[in-house]
Amino acid sequence: MSVVVQPVPEINLLQDPLRFDRRVPPCAVVIFGASGDLSKRKLLPSLYRLFYERRISPSFAVIGSSRTPMSDDQFRDRMKESVSKFLEDAPFDEDIWGSFAQCLFYVPGDLGNPESYDHIRNKLDEVEESHQTAGNVLFYLSTQPSYYAEAVKALGAHGLTKGRGWRRVIIEKPFGHDLQSARKLNEEIHTVLDESNIYRIDHYLGKETVQNILAFRFGNGIFEPLWNRRYVDHVQITAAESIGVEGRGGYYQEAGALRDMIQNHLSQVMATVTMEPPTLFDANNVRDERAKLLRAVRIMKPEDVPKYAVAGQYGPAKVGGQDMPGFRQEPSVDPNAQTDTYAAVTFFIDNWRWAGVPFYIRTGKRMPKRVTDIAIQFKAPPLGLFQQETKSGLREVRPNLLVLRIQPEEGISLRFLSKSPGGGMRVRPVSMDFNYGSSFGERSPTAYETLLLDAMAGDPTLYTRQDMVDASWQIVQPILDAWAQTKFDFPNYPAGSWGPKASDDMLARQGHVWRIP
Amino acid sequence: MSSSVIFPAQPEQILKGLGKLWTSLGQEEKQQGKPTVLRACAMTLIVATDEEDNGYAASQFISELMREHPSRGIVLAVSDKAEHGLEARVLAQCWKPFGKAQQICCEQIEITAKPDSWPNVGPTLIGLTAADLPVIFWCRHRAALSPNATEEQKTGLQAVLDISTKVIIDTNSHDAAAALELVSWLRKNDRIVADLEWTRLTAWRQPIAQIFDNPARSNKFANFRIIEIHHAEDKPSPLALYAAGWLSSISGARVAFRQEKGFGSGLQRIRLLSEEETIEFERTGPECMHLFSTNGRERTYNYSEPSLYSLLHEELSVIGNDPAFDRAFARAQELLHA
Repeated sequence: MSVVVQPVPEINLLQDPLRFDRRVPPCAVVIFGASGDLSKRKLLPSLYRLFYERRISPSFAVIGSSRTPMSDDQFRDRMKESVSKFLEDAPFDEDIWGSFAQCLFYVPGDLGNPESYDHIRNKLDEVEESHQTAGNVLFYLSTQPSYYAEAVKALGAHGLTKGRGWRRVIIEKPFGHDLQSARKLNEEIHTVLDESNIYRIDHYLGKETVQNILAFRFGNGIFEPLWNRRYVDHVQITAAESIGVEGRGGYYQEAGALRDMIQNHLSQVMATVTMEPPTLFDANNVRDERAKLLRAVRIMKPEDVPKYAVAGQYGPAKVGGQDMPGFRQEPSVDPNAQTDTYAAVTFFIDNWRWAGVPFYIRTGKRMPKRVTDIAIQFKAPPLGLFQQETKSGLREVRPNLLVLRIQPEEGISLRFLSKSPGGGMRVRPVSMDFNYGSSFGERSPTAYETLLLDAMAGDPTLYTRQDMVDASWQIVQPILDAWAQTKFDFPNYPAGSWGPKASDDMLARQGHVWRIP
Repeated sequence: MSSSVIFPAQPEQILKGLGKLWTSLGQEEKQQGKPTVLRACAMTLIVATDEEDNGYAASQFISELMREHPSRGIVLAVSDKAEHGLEARVLAQCWKPFGKAQQICCEQIEITAKPDSWPNVGPTLIGLTAADLPVIFWCRHRAALSPNATEEQKTGLQAVLDISTKVIIDTNSHDAAAALELVSWLRKNDRIVADLEWTRLTAWRQPIAQIFDNPARSNKFANFRIIEIHHAEDKPSPLALYAAGWLSSISGARVAFRQEKGFGSGLQRIRLLSEEETIEFERTGPECMHLFSTNGRERTYNYSEPSLYSLLHEELSVIGNDPAFDRAFARAQELLHA
């Protein structure tokens, strides 16, 4: 392993950072699995959009590779069809496509066949000359996860990880199937690549609103003093999907909600919400703080798992007058599957800032609506001057609630009490809203546009590092182990509901209830 | 939703009118039992106009801009037709983002002033600016910006300039010498001035800059010793001068202006010449621009004549100093007097 020193970019006095988009150096992007769904739906539309908006260098090329035999022109035609279909909130322009298509090339090949890598190297040499890509190459592994290690080792063996410019590799999730496999994969990849050239993608971190959490916390002075165990009662993170497995039953059956969402996306979101302020806003400092936080999450003992983690699986139901199948009735799914389509976990962070504060994370499929948000519930005032009468006769206060909405209505709202107009001192909760769309009416880049551009620019801030992946597997591994030994009585929640009763009970034991987002 | 005419146009009366407006919008919220209106404001945007439509076009512009730049919009229409010396009307500009339940609303104040009352508008405006936020002044009052402005117009203009963080003008169709003189006058006392002619140049500047980002490029920008600016007008426009000023302020290259008819007005082609290579950016159609280099590289870019809306959108996003413009402007002045 060697440390790669990147050359300092020359100063281009024509640049105007005030008005121009961020500079991205020339490069070639090699996509393995180029005929797959991710390429068609996300990668190529994102690259075209970046090209259309002139955000990538004119010295740029894409080399697609997969087993499907195709010529350059056939690849261009297929990609044109996909881009025009899957382009989000943006026009498709024939002239610009014509220019973009000139940058697209295709090399058919099998990842297991050494000759394929020679063909790719030849094509890279060709575009380095014709498209002046300066020898910079970004490899994107959009393949079956089982090929990751093999592909990276082959890139190394064929001399593709070294060259005149930089060489970086983007690896899609899932990064490993459990802690052991993730560590093994890391070891194998590190035999070829330095950590600084590995870009493990977690598209949640590329979402504008997730990035905005950092701006909100560390760009404002008024919230951070309250951001600790003295003022925060508990935190709820919800990532609900209204859809089912949508043809991914085979994959999902093996993964489950805990692996698919909590191990990666939601643990990273939790780390973003709870990490300490970095001393500098750069990739290493931000990622150091995220990793440190994840290492502080309490690892559950096997006997704690039933108390702090709940698995669920949706059953059939009628939603909006339509029959919805249960998970076990979905195509390619085992009728006795023990897969968790819902997972709720209580985490504790054992550091000075968060000791004793429960972090409830839940995710599930076939829930009543698609929503992802983070709700920070503050402690009630020490003296309940304005307690309210409830239907059950109990008196309760409505503590302040800060909600960071990730999707779909991106924004931030703060709930606080206000006096109702008129006589008497009746109070009611009101909400102070910041709506991302209304304050910044411009189109937000998609997560893949942001992340691809970051990788080309050599900014890994929004990518996960080895120690972060390791730590996030460590916190879910005891739950995975315990669930693997459990025979669940599934299904335990109907499609279109907010999850199993056991999940409500988990919060009730701590004196809390799930909010309805 | 708008109020009836408020006269006299004192800040307190106008603000009271705005208060009533929000109360009535809140009624709807109460009836529906859920939040329906969101108030948004990031700046005060003042537009002064002497157009015959009594500020209608300016008002429409503000309402469109509010989606991306929520502001307290103040349209100051200077017109003989005003019934009173200085009168006002308040209204809310609301829209519902696609698929969302809540309306976003910004407040707008329309002030109509008789020409002789314009000099008195200062105290009213001071009381109406949104607290702690920048005040942007977009001057569409052409007569007040002309060298032949009356004393009333000059005093009225000064009253608005005095409270502005940034002034936006458009010297398009101005004679280049007069344009640069106007910008120079407005820039006195370190005031931030934006000329939309400079903003029009961004669509050209960005792809040119991108070319020289490539570290593999051996022919650096400093090697291009001749710059040709091809413009559609008989004489170099302010836009052509800014283009020349920008490029030559960086490299010190010799500049030549050429007239060339092509697509629409403004710049048609920028040619950079060195001993080894010629690079050309050319408008090749109403919607596109073509980059061509004698080293074999070419690319088609999306380019459409920037709309007034997109120019203002860009300028409202740049609130502070603009060092690139400062340098280009200084060099453009030198070129003009050379």
